[in-house]
Amino acid sequence: MREASILIVHPDRKTQRVVHRILGVTGYRIEIADQLEQGLRLLQHVAPKLVVVDGSAAQSPQAAAFFAAARARGAEACMMLLGSAAIDQVPQILDMGAVTNLLVHPMPVLAEELTITAHKLMRGDLFGVEKYLLWGTELHDLAITRSTQRAHVVAGLSEAIRARGQSARVASMAMLVADELISNAVHNAPIDGKGVHYRAELARDTEIELDERHQVRVRWGCDARYVAIEVTDQFGSLDRDTILRALAQHDVRDSGGGAGMGVALSYRSCDHLVFNLAPGKRTEIIALVDVRYPPTERIPASSYNVFVESPS
Amino acid sequence: MTDTRGRLNIDAAPGQWNLSGSIDETSALVELLARAQGSLLVLDLAGVTFINSLGVRDWIRLQSEASRQHIAIELRRVSEPIIHQLNMIIATRGNSRVASFYAPYACDACGREESLLIDVAANAVGLANLVAPAMPCPECGAQMAFNDFPERYFSFLVPEMPRPG
Repeated sequence: MREASILIVHPDRKTQRVVHRILGVTGYRIEIADQLEQGLRLLQHVAPKLVVVDGSAAQSPQAAAFFAAARARGAEACMMLLGSAAIDQVPQILDMGAVTNLLVHPMPVLAEELTITAHKLMRGDLFGVEKYLLWGTELHDLAITRSTQRAHVVAGLSEAIRARGQSARVASMAMLVADELISNAVHNAPIDGKGVHYRAELARDTEIELDERHQVRVRWGCDARYVAIEVTDQFGSLDRDTILRALAQHDVRDSGGGAGMGVALSYRSCDHLVFNLAPGKRTEIIALVDVRYPPTERIPASSYNVFVESPS
Repeated sequence: MTDTRGRLNIDAAPGQWNLSGSIDETSALVELLARAQGSLLVLDLAGVTFINSLGVRDWIRLQSEASRQHIAIELRRVSEPIIHQLNMIIATRGNSRVASFYAPYACDACGREESLLIDVAANAVGLANLVAPAMPCPECGAQMAFNDFPERYFSFLVPEMPRPG
């Protein structure tokens, strides 16, 4: 078995050190390169599970070759860090379609996001909203057993969030995300043996009883940092490329049918969207709404992660 | 009398229709065009608390059909959830005109957060320069601060009010 390592490519020495310190605590070997060219050379000798690159790499003509090489060497995730100055590059980064993890927040949120992402990848332990919440946070857990339960659950979520002292804005964002994710899980996730999404075209207000296989699990909690909402289906039909295409849509209208518009709208309505994929088994999507900072102190972009469970 | 469609309520008021509740797959918004007076449909959206992606699709259909039928839509007291969609998805704006809208404010002195009404015509100059009007805190009277990025929150107004210079 190869030694687990992480490759960091960043032109700024100070940032290299900060990221090295954060990822170093995971105990994995860290390789560092200043530029993508140097990173490409390193990839001839190392096979990192995770590569972390600076957002400015999106402008580089070497970017596509670097990400392709990293994937060819077995990197399970290509993570990009974005300083606030590079926020304008988000559309271009999304267009690349190769960045499986985009972290847009500065320190100290960056440290949290980086550490959790690295641990999930390196340990192969992807699932569960608990990883994003502080110890002791109460998680509410419910099953969607009828398709029309969605509106009731979403309204209840909003009331509960408001009752915990959060703003109308936070409740509104949570409602939108929960509605879209539940709708996707009930109507778009189910596929038959031929890969046909047999409930995608059903009117959303049609009453459907959901048997055990079709039931959707919703968990949510708030730890005074985040309102976190986790929605899980038991089909695992959402794939990485569909997600990256949906995230890249500049106009949400163009995100297509199926899960596309829901994913695009959810991404723009929360601060961090996490996709945990177990192909053919389950899809778990976690949306985090940051409740610590007022809108004017927040980055006008959102982080995302796409994790795919390795076949065992 | 209230006309209820799914989770959306429609009430008649002098010269306008008041919408409240949620806009979603059950709303059938296009049918509102039959309620236009002449070639104008006036909608008060203060009570709309939620719109999902299916509601957005329906809203875009309403805008397209209004253009096709040469019906102008005036939006009054537009709530924050609708403003977010107008900012995110350009097609939701259609040819409609926003007369007034709610915007987020926060008070540094007492911490109160409030959604406050802004009249577009009365604040046209400031809004064109992306400056939110000053608002007193309803609780302590101190001046509240606009609680979002003006260039983001007011972007739905841009086609109506080109930036100076």
